[in-house]
Amino acid sequence: MLAPLDRRFVNVLRWRGAVQSLAVLAVAGVGELILADRGLPNGLAVVPALAIALWLTMVAPARKFVHWGFALDERELQVAHGWLTRVHTIVPIGRVQHIDLSQGPIERACGVATVVLHTAGTDHSRVAVPGLSRDAAEGVRDRIRAAIGASPW
Amino acid sequence: MVSTPDAARRLHPGTIALRIVVKAPQNMAGLVALSAAVSRGGLLMMAGAGALVLAVTALVTWVRWRSFTYRIADGELVIADGVLHRNRRSIPFERIQDVSIDQKLLARLFGLARVRIETGGGEADEASLDSVSLAEAARLRAVLRGQDAPVEMVAQATPTRDVIFAMDTRRVLTMGLFGFSLVWIGVLFAAINQLGDLVGLDWKGWWNWAGIAGREAWALATPLLVLFAAVAALAIGAVSGVARTFFVEHGFRLEREGGRLRRVRGLTTRTEVVVSLRRIQLALIERGLVSGRLGWSALRLQTLGGSDDAGGRQQVAPFARDDEVTRVLSAAGFPAFDPLPLRPVAFGHVVRSALLRGGLPLIGVAAVSWFVPLASLALPLVAIPVVAALLARRRHRYAIVGDTLQVMRGVLSKQAWIVPLAHVQSVSVTRSPLQRLLGIATVRVDTAGAKGVGRPDISDLAVEDAYPLARALLSGRTGPERDMCG
Repeated sequence: MLAPLDRRFVNVLRWRGAVQSLAVLAVAGVGELILADRGLPNGLAVVPALAIALWLTMVAPARKFVHWGFALDERELQVAHGWLTRVHTIVPIGRVQHIDLSQGPIERACGVATVVLHTAGTDHSRVAVPGLSRDAAEGVRDRIRAAIGASPW
Repeated sequence: MVSTPDAARRLHPGTIALRIVVKAPQNMAGLVALSAAVSRGGLLMMAGAGALVLAVTALVTWVRWRSFTYRIADGELVIADGVLHRNRRSIPFERIQDVSIDQKLLARLFGLARVRIETGGGEADEASLDSVSLAEAARLRAVLRGQDAPVEMVAQATPTRDVIFAMDTRRVLTMGLFGFSLVWIGVLFAAINQLGDLVGLDWKGWWNWAGIAGREAWALATPLLVLFAAVAALAIGAVSGVARTFFVEHGFRLEREGGRLRRVRGLTTRTEVVVSLRRIQLALIERGLVSGRLGWSALRLQTLGGSDDAGGRQQVAPFARDDEVTRVLSAAGFPAFDPLPLRPVAFGHVVRSALLRGGLPLIGVAAVSWFVPLASLALPLVAIPVVAALLARRRHRYAIVGDTLQVMRGVLSKQAWIVPLAHVQSVSVTRSPLQRLLGIATVRVDTAGAKGVGRPDISDLAVEDAYPLARALLSGRTGPERDMCG
């Protein structure tokens, strides 16, 4: 069974949702001004935008989070995500070419990090595992690195 | 082991003559401009100008030839060039992905060849030696590939070559018939349109003079003209297909030489591509709509970088019978494609294909017939994608056979993949909302070397089968495992 990600990743998703909401609200605000100019009732653009913003920040993050999961054993790493379309990816550790550990500003504030595995493949050559605590992410990286060293592809 | 450093070499002196000839058309344009300027001077002046242009060209070409040297140093190839701005590039042997030799038509006349050294770092990093003698090209290739063959032994040192697949002229012409190109029809119609305008313009006065009788004759002639144009377009399409195929595929030969496959083809531009067996990632067999029904198929091998093809899929048997495909496959270390043990995907595939392929046309036709009731006559056409969807399941099959994954797909034109499990990079199981409803999933198989379309993905197999398959693909073992992971 796949293990859930760090709880703090929900906050990362919330913040990301908030940033998207700001963009939506900004567009809606401009739309509202134009509509008000034409003498249409107030709130025609802002009310749906507020609903979307509420969805993006309050409802969606928890639902997205529930569908994230990952597992790492000696042979392979598994990542699952997706709320509407579910994607479950399995990467054999022997296929990993190199590993990145990345932390954006929001992730750093929330204390989580993303591990990115690169394979030689072309279509899903980049497999990301977000929302691991910094220590866990480094642990994953070190375990994969050790495994790569042991089994040169 | 490492070749002894040799002295800096220049390209073959014949290169100078070759370049002058190649550049002649440009110079001719300059010459015309020059002669226009001095047209008063008469024939002598023109001959003098021509000689001057030739002399300057020869001098420039000679200086550039002189400044270009290449040298095989200790474990690297060093190329130096530039007259004023000197440039020196060294390419370590380990970085060299591939060495290809090609001969353009003119170069063949001069007995020269171009050696291209691919480093896998994109176009800018490629080096090319244009041109050296054929023997030198062979020596360079041997040395750069680490075979370290001395010059005089090149002929003997090359491993035995077995011709695995070759196409004679008749085969190439047959292939050309199926290479029918519709592009030319478009071109022809555009040309006729242009011509018609021209003719109309020229004949306007005449039509006025001829009066109504003439106009009626023209109206009668128009359907004939259209018919004639259609026949001509078809003929041109067929001829151009044959001609293009003949130029590209003439003398097609695939040889096995040690651990490599070597493909030679082309009438005017002879190209040579070498594929290392180690770098082959998968085999793809394609059958065309018509030629496939007649028993012809094409085999491509997907290789990891260093190939001439942008897609990374090399055509190794473009028009072959099944036994020939099997022979090439076995030479490349692949098992034959066998559809018998393959199992079809879940029934949900039919439902999903029908909805995806038939749904959109249905909505389109319905929307149009709302405004134009006559358009509802097109409704039966929607049945075509639905029928195709019904057949899609029978034709979309998969199985792990030995240590390879074999997948087939396609109703009209067919594709079949043979993917060694050792070359599967990662596997994803995806389920869209519709697929979740139908209890099916898509298994995406990622391989190295080529992007996008033509991936050996398995669409719409039952969820219960998807995870064990994903497991089996990666563990390299046949049969599903018990410790299924949801």
